[in-house]
Amino acid sequence: MTEATQAGGGETAGALKFSADTFHRLTALMTLALLIVVFAFGNAAFLSVNNGLTVLLQTSVIGLLGIGMTMVIITGGIDLSVGSVLALSGVITGLSVKAGLPVIPAMMLGVVTGALCGAFNGFVITRMRITPFVATLGMMLIARGLALQLTGAAPVSGLGEPFGILGNGSLFRVVELRENGFPRVVFPGIPYPVILLVIVAAAAAYLLRRRQLGRHIYATGSNEEAARLAGVLVDRTKIMAYVMSGALAGLAGNVLMSRLVTAQPSEGVMYELDAIAAAVIGGASLMGGVGGISGTMIGAFIIGILRNGLNMAGVSAFIQQIVIGFVVIGAVWIDQLRNRN
Amino acid sequence: MTSPAPPLVEMIGIEKHFGGVHAVNGVSLKLFPGEIVGVLGHNGAGKSCLMRILSGAMLPTGGEIRIRGKTVSFDSPNDARDLGIETIYQTLALADHLDAPANLFLGREIKTRFGNLDDARMLSEARKVLATLNPNFRNLTDPVLSLSGGQRQVIAIARAIYFDVKVLIMDEPTAALGPSETAMVADLVRRLKAQGIGILLVSHDMHDVFELCDRVVVMNKGNLVGEHDIEDVTKDDILSLIIKGELPLDWTPRSAEMAQ
Repeated sequence: MTEATQAGGGETAGALKFSADTFHRLTALMTLALLIVVFAFGNAAFLSVNNGLTVLLQTSVIGLLGIGMTMVIITGGIDLSVGSVLALSGVITGLSVKAGLPVIPAMMLGVVTGALCGAFNGFVITRMRITPFVATLGMMLIARGLALQLTGAAPVSGLGEPFGILGNGSLFRVVELRENGFPRVVFPGIPYPVILLVIVAAAAAYLLRRRQLGRHIYATGSNEEAARLAGVLVDRTKIMAYVMSGALAGLAGNVLMSRLVTAQPSEGVMYELDAIAAAVIGGASLMGGVGGISGTMIGAFIIGILRNGLNMAGVSAFIQQIVIGFVVIGAVWIDQLRNRN
Repeated sequence: MTSPAPPLVEMIGIEKHFGGVHAVNGVSLKLFPGEIVGVLGHNGAGKSCLMRILSGAMLPTGGEIRIRGKTVSFDSPNDARDLGIETIYQTLALADHLDAPANLFLGREIKTRFGNLDDARMLSEARKVLATLNPNFRNLTDPVLSLSGGQRQVIAIARAIYFDVKVLIMDEPTAALGPSETAMVADLVRRLKAQGIGILLVSHDMHDVFELCDRVVVMNKGNLVGEHDIEDVTKDDILSLIIKGELPLDWTPRSAEMAQ
């Protein structure tokens, strides 16, 4: 009888928990919808296909960083180095292209650079037992310093047209030639970065939900000691999360530099904070064990649409920062309300 | 009394030092198949340390562990689990944000042919094993965070017995349980004993110890201060061992007393 009551009680609590979880995602989605409606009324051009694609393009970099950040945050860590690693990877790619390497191997080299930075983070955190905050803060300075040193703080330009394809090209672009000889863009196409983001997001969601490594990432963040006692290779799991975060920062760096067709060693400053904000708005908990790719994607688009809409409304960049700061606090506050019993 | 087969577990002269602190000091103990041995002592007497060494969660500073007569060394909990040594930790060691099947199979996930997690099979297997422990356990897909203490305990127990267990270490298995659940655990322990599984029971509950154990070992300040068949001692004898580290002055084996 007692057991039956307890089981019943647990079930009710579970149902509440589930609906609260859905509730958080719904609030985030509704916030997104609300933003779109408000900005659409504010400016007719906001709802155009072109602007939609612009938002997608602008969000793809933060989205890529956010995916890696989400994995790290789920393990209970944080990666402050992604902005700097993005710059370093872009610079490595740029310098390689400049040195005569074809674009695709050069970009791979950039991604590998990011992965190595992540591996270094993971090594410092698991072997030297330094907290993720301090370890990645160190890497943030190291990677930025390296990027500036390698380039002499000057942008690397003249990288040629192929280098710009990843950031500026698009799929299904339809252009017709008008009678007067000028081209008319029927459909601007889906930008490659957006396609890349979709593929990476799907792969990351699959990894987290359907693979053993993903399960171990959640377990490590949820209760590290329990995971270790259950036979989870906690250190290896953490290193993998940081490597993925670093590699995705490298990929994002390539996308961004390709869009500019220039390798900028000073790009990506404070991007880590946008990535963290995207994950946190999407419901990831900095205590670990909680978070998901779909949430982070919603979070990234909330930030992206907020920036874009405020830009179009002529709001200054300073005010934008203030607004996004309040959004982050608000999102975490809602999350805490959810978790408070 | 002595079994012809080598003991299931033999720990010989186990040492564990933390800097200058000797948490475990030359402790030896044996466990035979189908035997329940109570491991008793104060908090900090070294019994949890000793159990963690046997479960592979802690490396000993010195000493030898033999399983069925063969010397082994455990570098991780996985090594011990591979030899059939399962542990139910006092802290339950559950990942709060995962559900019951995920916790049950944590570190030993069932996978499909393509290496994906086979959640459907893990759920059905979990349902089966949990039903044998608590028929009312139905909310399997909730995070264990939202479950009652008893349900969490049941998951921790299920995790230990689902796999091919030979030696079961139970660290305060009934601490979080109500009376009916405690009785269920006692039943389970007897059932496992009947299957020839060796059980080390760490407990503060004298009632449990005298009801279930065949033998008790008592630790005090890292040393093994007593090892007795349960018929030879009374609760007062054990308390004296736990508190003073020695038997009452006038002690004689109680079974011998009875025979006289």
